[in-house]
Amino acid sequence: MLLQLNNIFKWVTTGGQRIFLLKDINLEVEEGEFISIMGPSGSGKSTLLNVIGMLDTFDEGEYNFMDESVHSLKEKHRSNLYKQYIGFVFQSYHLLDELTVKENLEMPLIYKKIKGSERKAMVADMLDRFNIVGKKDLFPAQLSGGQQQLVGVARALIASPKLILADEPTGNLNSKQGEEIMELFKQLNEEGVTIIQVTHSEKNAEYGSRIINLLDGRMV
Amino acid sequence: MLINHLKIAWRSILKNKLFSFINVVGLSIGLCSALVIGAIIYFDFSFDTFHKDKDRIYRVTSLFKSGNDEFTNRGVPVPLMQTFKDGVSGVEEVAPFMSANFSKVENKSQEVILKNVNDGIFADEGYFQLFDYQWLAGNSQTALSEPAQVVLTKNTAAKYFPKKSPTDVIGSTLVYNDSINVKVSGVVADFEKNTDFKFTDFMSMSSAKMFGEKEIATSDQWNNTSSGDQLFFKVREGVDMAAIRSRLDALAKEHKNTAAWAADDERLFVLQSLPEIHFGGKSGDYPFNNSDHVASKTVLTSLSFVALFLLLLGCANFINLNSAQALTRAKEIGIRKTLGSSKKQVVRQFLGETFILTVLATLLSLLMAPFLLQQFSEFLPSGIDLSVLYSMQGILGIILLVTIVSILSGFYPAFVLSKFRPVAVLKGQFTKGDKGTRLRKTLTVFQFVVAQVFVIATMLVTKQLHFVMNKDMGIKTEAVAYVRLPWNDKSEVKKERLFSQMEKIKGLSKVSWGGNPPTSNNISSTILTYFKEENEMHQETEMLWGDITYLKTYGIPLLAGRERLNDSVKEYIVNERFAKALGFQDPAEVVGTFLKMDSTQIPVVGLMRDFNQRSLRSDIKPLALTGDWGNSNYSSFNAIHFDLGNNTDNWNETIEGVEQAWASVYPDQEIQVEFMDELVEGFYRRERSTVQLLKWATGLAILISCLGLMGLVVYTTERRVKEIGVRKVLGANLAQLNILLCKEFLILVAVAFAVAVPISWYLVQEWIESFAYKTELSWWVFLASGIGMAVIAMAVTGARTYKTANINPIESLRNE
Ligand SMILES: Nc1ncnc2c1ncn2[C@@H]1O[C@H](COP(=O)(O)OP(=O)(O)OP(=O)(O)O)[C@@H](O)[C@H]1O
Ligand SMILES: [Mg+2]
Repeated sequence: MLLQLNNIFKWVTTGGQRIFLLKDINLEVEEGEFISIMGPSGSGKSTLLNVIGMLDTFDEGEYNFMDESVHSLKEKHRSNLYKQYIGFVFQSYHLLDELTVKENLEMPLIYKKIKGSERKAMVADMLDRFNIVGKKDLFPAQLSGGQQQLVGVARALIASPKLILADEPTGNLNSKQGEEIMELFKQLNEEGVTIIQVTHSEKNAEYGSRIINLLDGRMV
Repeated sequence: MLINHLKIAWRSILKNKLFSFINVVGLSIGLCSALVIGAIIYFDFSFDTFHKDKDRIYRVTSLFKSGNDEFTNRGVPVPLMQTFKDGVSGVEEVAPFMSANFSKVENKSQEVILKNVNDGIFADEGYFQLFDYQWLAGNSQTALSEPAQVVLTKNTAAKYFPKKSPTDVIGSTLVYNDSINVKVSGVVADFEKNTDFKFTDFMSMSSAKMFGEKEIATSDQWNNTSSGDQLFFKVREGVDMAAIRSRLDALAKEHKNTAAWAADDERLFVLQSLPEIHFGGKSGDYPFNNSDHVASKTVLTSLSFVALFLLLLGCANFINLNSAQALTRAKEIGIRKTLGSSKKQVVRQFLGETFILTVLATLLSLLMAPFLLQQFSEFLPSGIDLSVLYSMQGILGIILLVTIVSILSGFYPAFVLSKFRPVAVLKGQFTKGDKGTRLRKTLTVFQFVVAQVFVIATMLVTKQLHFVMNKDMGIKTEAVAYVRLPWNDKSEVKKERLFSQMEKIKGLSKVSWGGNPPTSNNISSTILTYFKEENEMHQETEMLWGDITYLKTYGIPLLAGRERLNDSVKEYIVNERFAKALGFQDPAEVVGTFLKMDSTQIPVVGLMRDFNQRSLRSDIKPLALTGDWGNSNYSSFNAIHFDLGNNTDNWNETIEGVEQAWASVYPDQEIQVEFMDELVEGFYRRERSTVQLLKWATGLAILISCLGLMGLVVYTTERRVKEIGVRKVLGANLAQLNILLCKEFLILVAVAFAVAVPISWYLVQEWIESFAYKTELSWWVFLASGIGMAVIAMAVTGARTYKTANINPIESLRNE
């Protein structure tokens, strides 16, 4: 088992009132799964994904990731954990504007303290695999949306994570570009990478092996 | 990792060119002022720090107390030197020496003649034991043991004996003052580091008699103190200084002046440690007779405050802009965190960027420093330069400064950013939250407070200076001048000849005999006794000597009584303040009374109007004018005062006439015509340099603050282009948008003004206290400076907001 959420609650308090963002979430994810999270806007999909990705905290419950209990870990430890196992893909790509494609890909490796020569090889590999060798010296602003997202996915993959978290990865793309990304995910999944994506599109959700529906912070 | 950080840093600097430029320039101006002022301060603190055992070396000086007055003399009576040479317990080595001016030094064999050598001293071997010179020829034991021996410094030896090496010079003869043959017995290297010991000719002490100077061994002139007679000594290690001090007190008591008039006077011997000498002791004396510069600790302190504030301004600016700009990079930080960057790494990255900018600013400031130094050169001692900045210490100092500044200005944004939680950032919450605006506003207010204080202070100090330089002193200062007769030629015949020649010059409307001019820095005073209802009243009175036309020449009116009968009759004319001091309700009543000086009764025959005898820092004092009768040995009339008349066209011609007359009487002496208006201006030299410094500081402070403001405006408007676009679509016009954008900055400037007013009022108040005559600290000065600042701020913000308000909304909205 890759990760397990038990009775997760998350809330914010405004005006003395607790507003629940997540309510009693129970979820088990096995290695190699491809899960789609769906639900209306504001239902808590992004929040849940961020909790899984350890970018956000929760208020109650237990979260075990690869037999480590995340809720009792220190921040530093936690960041080590996701640095090693998790890759993110965002709806608005979130590439670093000041860095070229190549340098963007290199970034996670630097944070993992991988040696320079090794880094170069890994980046070259990725550029090859995603067919963007020709773009390696361009800056994000010089790429189309689809190309940027491709770089985003490549960057998420480069450190060979066990789990990829994607928040509406195709939200800003046209349907053809979206399909390409989905095909890519499917292929990755077949190679053994676990994927959890948030999506509004039924069609994209079909790529996954399991669909989780959220409504008002609750799984339905 | 490091390279990656530097790369990103460099690119983001380039990406925000204007912003980075403002940032770097602001900081470099602050740094530059700090560096230049630092070099100036270092210069004064670097004097005579190289002497061996410098902490154990002291100089004895004299302090005289008479009534409420205190004055100091850097010398000691000569017999005290002998007392020390005979041995004082706790003292290890003694070095007495006497300043010497030689009118002529001649090397006959090479036909070299040098006139007016003023850097000589009479010294004995003690001098070279106490002060460690490097001997190039001869040795310290024997070089000064005999009469008619002289030790030269290398540079001087080269002057007297061109092209000869130090060893060749030994044994050669020099002729001093036309007739005294002296053998060169040693050559020492000149001190290379900053020093006040700029002596060049060390004549053996035993030669003093040949030069007509005092002899240490035989002199008993305990009450004769001349500033050139110096006594240095070195104490044994661990000695109790109190014991030496009390010994000096005892000596002073023992040899107190026994004359009746000195009964109430007191003389003390005061110790000055070697490092203190450059700072001139209590009354700001020059270190030695041949010194041309004395450092003032108050001036250095104010300078360091100016430097500190300009540096703080630069840093505040830097922090402000950096943190403002950093927030626009929150997104980048968020992404980095999701990619696995730790807090520490974020902090390091931002510190690194700040460091690059600081280094850039430092390089820029080093480039600008020589230009800034040049601006101050007018009132700086010669010999100051920036080489210290490139010395080992200087470089270490700069590195330290750069590190501190980077940390100060890099830490805040680094920490704010590293604390951002990536979710919050990626959700875009950071743009809504106004992180750090409070700090930024505080810093902006601080900048403007400093700038505003500088502006107000400059205006008020200038106003005071204008006031004292233009206030009517009560005498005529325009077109009046005097020449002082040579002190070393006392011939009465020559005097009279010059006077009568000057009387013949057509352009001179009045010519008078006199001593000092009515207003000057040299004032002598005496005690006059007045019998008031059988009680003796002693009145300290300042004295002026002048002939019967002296008052007319200086345009001082007689208010009552008459002019004296002739130039040498024993009669006084006193001023109103004197009459009041004696207790006359109506000053005119003083005319006809008698005053006693020593044992003579002298009538007061006239009352002159009050005028300022000194700079307007001091008040008017009781004063008496009299003729030339006091001393049969020498005349009190040692200057000729004259009025150049109203016709300015003839002035040059007239002055030439005076110069010719002088040249015909004193062909060997140089004439020095002193103009009264220049003399009065000279009273305020220090104030004028203060104004100059303040003007610079103000200019720089305003510049930095405006750069800071501009940076903030750029940042704010850029962040608000979208809002402005929306407002425009909704129908807002240009004026409304400008007001909207400028308002928040003008509020800050207003707050700064409110804070600056009391601070500057207090500071100027303190400064102006030292003047007896004060200008008013008028409210309009404050108001004007406030309005001026607001206008500048408005211009700076307006230029930018106007541009932003003009952007086509379609463009700004499409960006999202
Ligand atoms: N800090 C917060 N304070 C208050 N409410 C919050 C906060 N963060 C999120 N919410 C609320 O939590 C709810 C869930 O937000 P979330 O972003 O997870 O929705 P979502 O399902 O991803 O929606 P979408 O499909 O529009 O992206 C929303 O109603 C949002 O308003
Ligand atoms: Mg969402």
